[in-house]
Amino acid sequence: MSSDTQGAVGQSVLRREDDYLLRGQGRFVDDLPTPLNTLHLAFVLSPYAHARITSIDTSAALALDGVVDVLTGADLAAMVKPIAAQIELPGYSFNTRDVLAVDEVRFAGEAVAVVVAESQYLAEDGIELVEVDYEPLPAVTDIHEATDPAAPQVNPTVPGNVYFEGRFATEGVAAGFDTAAHVISEDFNSNRVTAVPIEPRGCLAVPEQPANLVFYSSTQIHHLLRTALAEFLDVAESNLRVVVPDVGGGFGIKAALYPEEFVCAALALRLRRPVKWIQDRYGALLTDVHARDNHYRVEAAIDDDGIVLALRAEIRTNGGAYSALPFGCTLETTGGARMIVGPYRITEYEYTATAVATHTAPVLAYRGVAQPVCFMAIEGIMDRIARRLGLDPAEVRLRNMVPTAELPWTNIVGVRYDTGSFVESLEMAMEMANYDEFRASQAQGRLVDGKYRGIGICSFTEVSGTGAPGWRARGLTRLPGFDSGTVKVEPTGKVTAFVSHAHSGQGHFTTFAQVVADALGARLEDVTVVEGDTAAGPYGTNTFASRSAVTGGGALIRASEKARLKLARIAAFMLESTPEDIVVSDGRMHVAGVPSRALSFQEVAETAYAMNTSDLPEGESFGIEETDFYDPPLVTMANATHIAQVAVDAADGTVDIEGYVVVHDCGRVINPMIVDGQVMGGVAQGIGEALMEEFVYDPDGGVRTATLMDYLLPSSVDVPNYQIAHIESPSIDTVGGFKGVGEGGLIGAVAALVNAVADALSDLDVNVNTKPLRPALLSRLIREAGG
Amino acid sequence: MTDEVEVTVTVNGRTRQSRVEPRRLLVDYLRHDLGLTGAHIGCEQGVCGACTVLLDGRTARSCLHFAVTVDGSDIRTVEDLADLDELHPIQEMFHQKHALQCGFCTPGFLLTAVELLERTADPDEATIREALMNNVCRCTGYANIVDAVAEAAVELRRGHGA
Repeated sequence: MSSDTQGAVGQSVLRREDDYLLRGQGRFVDDLPTPLNTLHLAFVLSPYAHARITSIDTSAALALDGVVDVLTGADLAAMVKPIAAQIELPGYSFNTRDVLAVDEVRFAGEAVAVVVAESQYLAEDGIELVEVDYEPLPAVTDIHEATDPAAPQVNPTVPGNVYFEGRFATEGVAAGFDTAAHVISEDFNSNRVTAVPIEPRGCLAVPEQPANLVFYSSTQIHHLLRTALAEFLDVAESNLRVVVPDVGGGFGIKAALYPEEFVCAALALRLRRPVKWIQDRYGALLTDVHARDNHYRVEAAIDDDGIVLALRAEIRTNGGAYSALPFGCTLETTGGARMIVGPYRITEYEYTATAVATHTAPVLAYRGVAQPVCFMAIEGIMDRIARRLGLDPAEVRLRNMVPTAELPWTNIVGVRYDTGSFVESLEMAMEMANYDEFRASQAQGRLVDGKYRGIGICSFTEVSGTGAPGWRARGLTRLPGFDSGTVKVEPTGKVTAFVSHAHSGQGHFTTFAQVVADALGARLEDVTVVEGDTAAGPYGTNTFASRSAVTGGGALIRASEKARLKLARIAAFMLESTPEDIVVSDGRMHVAGVPSRALSFQEVAETAYAMNTSDLPEGESFGIEETDFYDPPLVTMANATHIAQVAVDAADGTVDIEGYVVVHDCGRVINPMIVDGQVMGGVAQGIGEALMEEFVYDPDGGVRTATLMDYLLPSSVDVPNYQIAHIESPSIDTVGGFKGVGEGGLIGAVAALVNAVADALSDLDVNVNTKPLRPALLSRLIREAGG
Repeated sequence: MTDEVEVTVTVNGRTRQSRVEPRRLLVDYLRHDLGLTGAHIGCEQGVCGACTVLLDGRTARSCLHFAVTVDGSDIRTVEDLADLDELHPIQEMFHQKHALQCGFCTPGFLLTAVELLERTADPDEATIREALMNNVCRCTGYANIVDAVAEAAVELRRGHGA
């Protein structure tokens, strides 16, 4: 039996999602029809970063007509257990969070009470009437000050405000530094940002029979959410159904489990009425998980040729006030420590990686996780090596990269790079960016027409498709890794494919149909994809960390192959042939070499469903519905090179991006149009992170960036036209050969832009080691350097 | 709570008479009273543009207006752009050029593009980027949206659609 390659995979198939979204018929959580008796929630948020709650007077709110109830931390504690991330790392300080603060608040924005009312307007009226008395306490927000012995303690079970400290060293690190011709060291400072999907978070809990609760949430992790609701609400998981409607962007921040979800579900069960909560932007900025408040101290021992002999990294990440679910406050810490070696042949390596607690919003996943910062650091080091030795930055990278001929290659922390194109992607990007010509033009001076011109490179590896072993290596023993697919050939011959993912704009309905069409031998238009519903298809780990193509694609290929085998067995029986001789292609099956002896999917399916007079082969079960699971290896490593060309205005410090090149390698590409879209969107977010976005706390923990007028996002005039090319190095370790692509755009953009600005200003005596590179900072640096 | 007052507006060509609280936002009125959920709420601060509608032919943030203050107005929302069989040329180009991912901000971009192309038949890239700069998209990186609007302008000049 065989399947003709139809080649749906690899085509820029236009998206099925578009038509209804373009018509305004998207069904985001706040668009869902709600029963007339739906109750609405609004949360009272603490304005203080650290305070004792001395009293909460709910009487005025309760007296308001239309307010059904007002609950505080103690009330919810009776309904929901304290929530906690399960991290199993030696020395990790376990800590829990009450879904509404009890007695003490630990970051500005932490909820202290919830108002339940007949409408959203009334719920918001209610929160104005809740009188909370706080006794403000000293707060700490800075990652360095947090571990000062005099610093206020954030969490009673996190001594010294250290959640975790990880250490690793190979034997020859000290020798590497002793014998080095040069040691290059630098501090890199990264600003706190948050993802800001344009759709805020929200959920709608509807008590129903026979499932006790249908829970709609703007989440990326429906199965993990359902399990957590069952655990912390102490209800049977089988009585919960979690459904993900359309989600208006996730970018990782919707792959967290949030207190509001537990409160909403608990109240719907308690009050026996539908309960809805829709976040506002103020709440989103304050309480969505944050990211990137990191400090890296990196030292490289190098020889006279610029070859790195040994690398040391001291990494400190801000975990915020609580270890957020499900990945915990060590996500950035272990991530940066493990990923910083990138595409380079680093053979001696030592790190200390510390996660600290502060009175700030919890930190978890945002597109790229630690990688935008660890590559800002290692790529910044590569440029500093070049400047020290008078070499070209590209040349330094090429000398240190693992060449393709040496792949598969296992890096110093045990991650296998099965295939890739580190050197080729850099060389191709240089060509596309006219790199050599640009360098030649710089010889006449970087300051032209009042602007300093520079070019910056980021060559990087991109973690995707992490399997269970990868999570175990980072202490996440309760995070599965696998995903599932079910492929069902219906009686009419049409195909329904269920997959344990949930989209937030990635185009899964289109791309997974392409994968199934090829693997099953079906016509693309006959395949419909269903996802984002715990009642439809088996369990999975869901959609974050650039997983879906690798894990969902792999699971669907396996399930499709099983379904194809069954189709072939039945067809062979009907055609009096053998399964091995049946060719499945384009929604039909025929005997090899005899195209006229053929059956359609429908004709075979009718036999499987006993809807005709044909018999099933002996021992064959009814229906055609096959399930399989796929757990990828440790991680699936994609790679890319970004090159940014910038002009920094000498007078006002503004940065114009005059050229932007990406050469990306995500293995076998399912849909080039969608891959390009992922890259471009990521680059725009990276531009925001490198040049403008910053979430700012006052020293006492108050929030300065509580609106989108203060937290700046890139717009259409802030981004360039992108030149994108692909190299395809199919993974040999994964089913399907796919590697992930969701995060690379952002990862590469940050370091490429920071390096480009540093290069532009390299004739001045300034050190560019901090982001965001806003005009105020750059104009000050230029002024101080006399430029 | 305040007493409700009467408001009469024309929405997508149909006259609607309703009683609403004076504080009811236009976007809530459209979404939850009339069921036109295409306009989305991204910030309620007038920054993101996801709630953009056409108010007497001009783009407006429906989160910054009360329903009562637009009494007597003509409102057009994203639901009015396509007919049952065919998308509006701007919508069709958004599809062709992959100018949307999650689709949450898209209705606002479409109406902003409608306004631009009604006024400027042949905009250059800089003009398009400037016209779109007050709508935020977090998914696409904007390039495909700019392309889609430019291509839609070509289509509209050829006389397809209105």
